[in-house]
Amino acid sequence: MIRNVFINAGSAVEIDRHFDKGFKALALEAFRRLESSYGSVEPDTLVISSMAPESMSEQIGIAGVIADHLALRRLKVFRVEMGEASGLAAILTAYSLVSSGLSKGVLVIGVEKVSEYPVSLIAKVYSMIGDSDYTGLYGISPASEAAILAKIYMDRYGYSYEDLFKWPVLMHKNAVKNPHAQLRFMLKSDSYKDSPIISEPLRLLDAYPFGDGASALYISSMPGDTAVEISGVGSSNDSCDAISREDPLFFRSVRESFDDALRMAGIGRDRVKYIEIHDSYTPYAYIVLESLGLVERGDAPRKISMESSSIDTTYVNISGGLKARGHPWGATGIYQTYEVFRSLLGEAELSDSYGAVQSMNGPGSQSYSVIMRRVR
Amino acid sequence: MKDSAPRIWRMRNNLYRIRYSKCKACGASFYPARASCIRCSSRDVEVRVSLGLGTLVEYTVLYQVPARMQDNAPMVIGVVRLDEGFELYGVIVDADIKDLRKGMRVEAVLRRLRVDGSSGLITYGIKFRPVIGAAHGEGSGRG
Ligand SMILES: [Zn+2]
Repeated sequence: MIRNVFINAGSAVEIDRHFDKGFKALALEAFRRLESSYGSVEPDTLVISSMAPESMSEQIGIAGVIADHLALRRLKVFRVEMGEASGLAAILTAYSLVSSGLSKGVLVIGVEKVSEYPVSLIAKVYSMIGDSDYTGLYGISPASEAAILAKIYMDRYGYSYEDLFKWPVLMHKNAVKNPHAQLRFMLKSDSYKDSPIISEPLRLLDAYPFGDGASALYISSMPGDTAVEISGVGSSNDSCDAISREDPLFFRSVRESFDDALRMAGIGRDRVKYIEIHDSYTPYAYIVLESLGLVERGDAPRKISMESSSIDTTYVNISGGLKARGHPWGATGIYQTYEVFRSLLGEAELSDSYGAVQSMNGPGSQSYSVIMRRVR
Repeated sequence: MKDSAPRIWRMRNNLYRIRYSKCKACGASFYPARASCIRCSSRDVEVRVSLGLGTLVEYTVLYQVPARMQDNAPMVIGVVRLDEGFELYGVIVDADIKDLRKGMRVEAVLRRLRVDGSSGLITYGIKFRPVIGAAHGEGSGRG
């Protein structure tokens, strides 16, 4: 018997350069906030999503270390790692554990220490999300791949760099209202002029900031007092690099994972009124929106509303996205899911509709989608 | 992080030449080489070695260079379309950034990738440089 799966509680720690906190302290903070907001939980399983604790914190078996630090005992303990999509991969893992009946209550904590080293070392570790024998070894970093795709995008659809810069401006505007966002300041339409180039044409303001964070969710088979149901999940994969694909500007795995999740939820994409997407670099925001099927190819920069942060009737990245909320790698999918969970519970406008989260590792190399709705 | 001698030795055929896959079922060529076709899923693929001549399709100048590559900063990262009909990402060397043009002819060269301290391994691999006398448009129609 497949059981229904609910999110009952959640929390998020401010994303920042937490020089005073290691991964244990961050995970503990997320756990404490979850319990102080929603009451104590009794998980029988702990799932930790973290991308690079070996490189950044010299830690293997991080889930066991965190379980011990939180003084949680008699648990099934796992770490899920799928690069920068680890968070949503962890949600799919928790979903599977609960729906199968193997677990009754799963505490999922996404945690990452990113800002432990100089930028070049952080960039080196982040480059390991692709094929290390190919792009990694040659120094062909994710930023350079995003820059190349940005140029192909601008060339094919006739946009200027200034046209694309709408996205960071919008994300910063949204992040100002998000208490756990890393970059809570506004940009102007020409703020890029003072921003250093990381890989031309992309500037620092086109990339997610480096920051540490932890976010937690409690996922169970019981709806309890407050609950958002996970109505659908999906996942798919593609080549590690984008350029060997037939069309590097369409992330097939994003479409496939979203379609699978919609099918499982039994709804069309028009019922999704709010989505958090993976916008690690400016061009990826547009490519993802188009790959999801929310807008025609090449139309995303024209169709995104700067007033309402929406495409048609779907709100997008109210959190500020990876761009401005921040992107603590393995924790990001948990932040995204927590943000949609909070909005479904708190926004009357969303009470009768669905929320969604899209995550990916690299340029749609591996993709995950989750669809949720409020039930209590 | 120290470089592993067995790893670099094991990778020699991929580091010192461009090995790609050619699908015998649908004719697609692709890089890196894989055990089955990324277009039609056929298992009937063979590994071939490229002659290393191609065209620069797109490029970016990377300033946020990962650790251990910083001697090379800024790096030019290009998309090269090899004459055998597939595309890959490659590092472009021996060119002033202002002289780079989309569509220019490039050729593979063996260059140093990284050095592991003063006593560790030096890893070499394939990069690309403009073909001497290369001009925009030259070689068009060759793939
Ligand atoms: Zn084929």
